Amino acid sequence: MSFTALSPEIVSRDGTSMVLSMGPQHPSTHGVLQIMLEIEGESIVKAEPEIGYLHTGIEKNCENQFWTTAQTNVERMDYLAPSSNALCYALGVERLLGITNDIPRRAQQIRVLNAELTRIASHCVWLGTGGLDLGALSVFFYTFDLRENILDMQEAAGGARMHPNYIRVGGVNGDLPEGYLERLDALIEKFPGRMRDLRALVQANPILQDRMVDVGILSPEEAVQWSVTGPSLRASGVAYDVRRAFPYSGYEEYDFDLPTRDEGDSYARFLVRLDEMEESMRIIRQVRERLEPGPVVIDDAKIVPPPKETIALSMEALIHHFKIMTEGFRVPPGDVYQSVEGPRGELGFYIVSDGGNHPYRIRTRPASMYNLQALKGMAPGNLIADLVVMIGSMDPVFGEVDR
Amino acid sequence: MPSTQSPPLLGAAIDPTALRPAIDDAAIERVDRAQLHARLAQLKDQGYSMLLDLGAADYPAREPRFDVVYHLLKMPLRKTGVEQVGKPARLRVLCAAGEDEPLPTATDLWLSADWAEREIFDLFGIRFEGHPDLRRIQMPHDWEGHPLRKDYPLRGPARERSPRPAFALKSNVNAGTPPSGKTLEALSEQIARRAAERGPGNGERNA
Repeated sequence: MSFTALSPEIVSRDGTSMVLSMGPQHPSTHGVLQIMLEIEGESIVKAEPEIGYLHTGIEKNCENQFWTTAQTNVERMDYLAPSSNALCYALGVERLLGITNDIPRRAQQIRVLNAELTRIASHCVWLGTGGLDLGALSVFFYTFDLRENILDMQEAAGGARMHPNYIRVGGVNGDLPEGYLERLDALIEKFPGRMRDLRALVQANPILQDRMVDVGILSPEEAVQWSVTGPSLRASGVAYDVRRAFPYSGYEEYDFDLPTRDEGDSYARFLVRLDEMEESMRIIRQVRERLEPGPVVIDDAKIVPPPKETIALSMEALIHHFKIMTEGFRVPPGDVYQSVEGPRGELGFYIVSDGGNHPYRIRTRPASMYNLQALKGMAPGNLIADLVVMIGSMDPVFGEVDR
Repeated sequence: MPSTQSPPLLGAAIDPTALRPAIDDAAIERVDRAQLHARLAQLKDQGYSMLLDLGAADYPAREPRFDVVYHLLKMPLRKTGVEQVGKPARLRVLCAAGEDEPLPTATDLWLSADWAEREIFDLFGIRFEGHPDLRRIQMPHDWEGHPLRKDYPLRGPARERSPRPAFALKSNVNAGTPPSGKTLEALSEQIARRAAERGPGNGERNA
């Protein structure tokens, strides 16, 4: 985290190379990343990313929260894709509770809808800020306009733009609000045109291609060795996706492709993410067509608080509500590893319960951290200017890297 | 449906795998510290080429008190289509470790173990023998104590001691922090001291 903590070989100089600290306040580091670079002229000999500047102890905090309130913290790890985090946590706790098969169909469909919307929103930020890294300012406005539509929908459903806390253990928090589906239809209609604009703006742009093609190449072996997952792994040609390999929330019902590329460079990762946005929209359209009426939470008042309207009418509902709000619910002892495909790759939670109303331990598998670590293997031999492209193409979120 | 509410078991989390082995779609294996590296190398040869994650958990009532958890994924090391990947096997390897019982490093098998092992060292204080660069990763480099241990207080020793910490103070060393493990004692001393300062009259009122 600081100069004195650096490994000895990187601060030693043999006369030809020098050590340069990039960040943690560098605009292209997407947060607070410091990279200690050993450089010879403009080319990198060794890169040592220093993380931890955004460490907030979320895992420790979760151990001191109820199972229900810990989710609020969990959503704040990957702040660009809160619904993916919430979904993964809810699925894990549901497996410990043994209620995985009782989740109503409509709740599962709404969960998939939210997870895919959050993926598009997250890729919009990646594309916008990635464009800024390369000096393409206008992309930012196109993508953030699209993202704003999704955030508006999140706000309508969950009450907050960035952290809706909409997906809960046992289902989702209330049915879709009035006017939500109209907004969704408008988004579905708007999306193809917007993607055409974006592709016209960036994909065929020769300046962007010059910057990205053959920069930061990851071979499939290297990608697997560094535990890279998600779009970055698929850009190296390995078609591993948690949605396909270990389906959850009914993903096996939907028809979608896994975009892959063989090149493994920054441009391939860029194209895979663009294609992935369209595949996500394909899933969203299917969910929209198949959305069924019905309950959105499981019928168990010991886990999900009863609806607000019933509290004034039923003594039992009032007691259940009071018990869940004041002491939460208990989860049978055991441990479970649950993963979902987040926008950045395999997001996993290793959850241990001791039978109490607090999580005993929540270990996150941070996809961003493993992806970022691969920088150590990619950066040497490249120019400093290309390092910016590489960081952008791995799409790290420091809320998740540091937690 | 039947209620899922059951009373907590005392010390239930001491060995979670013994309680509910069939909850996961991964195979679960408990390995002894001495055989860990050989077993991991063997598994890697059998095709578990990706170290999905490496985490730890603290069970202070047990000896040795920590569990280090390796999540492995069987993944081909070449370009692969969707059908070839299919449903890759997942394996969870658990290994018990103590404060003074370092584990062998896995960085020679998987490059990605590097930061994960540093994080476990930083937050739990478990050492990994043979790690090329074992130093703190999340906490400031001169931090004392290991925050994810169960006996480490939630707000951190420095803040437990002084109600308004100096925010410029990057480390907790200068605040006279007791090393982790003695923190609870320090706190109970503090509580006892305050109770003594308050005098018997106030104590009676509270009682």
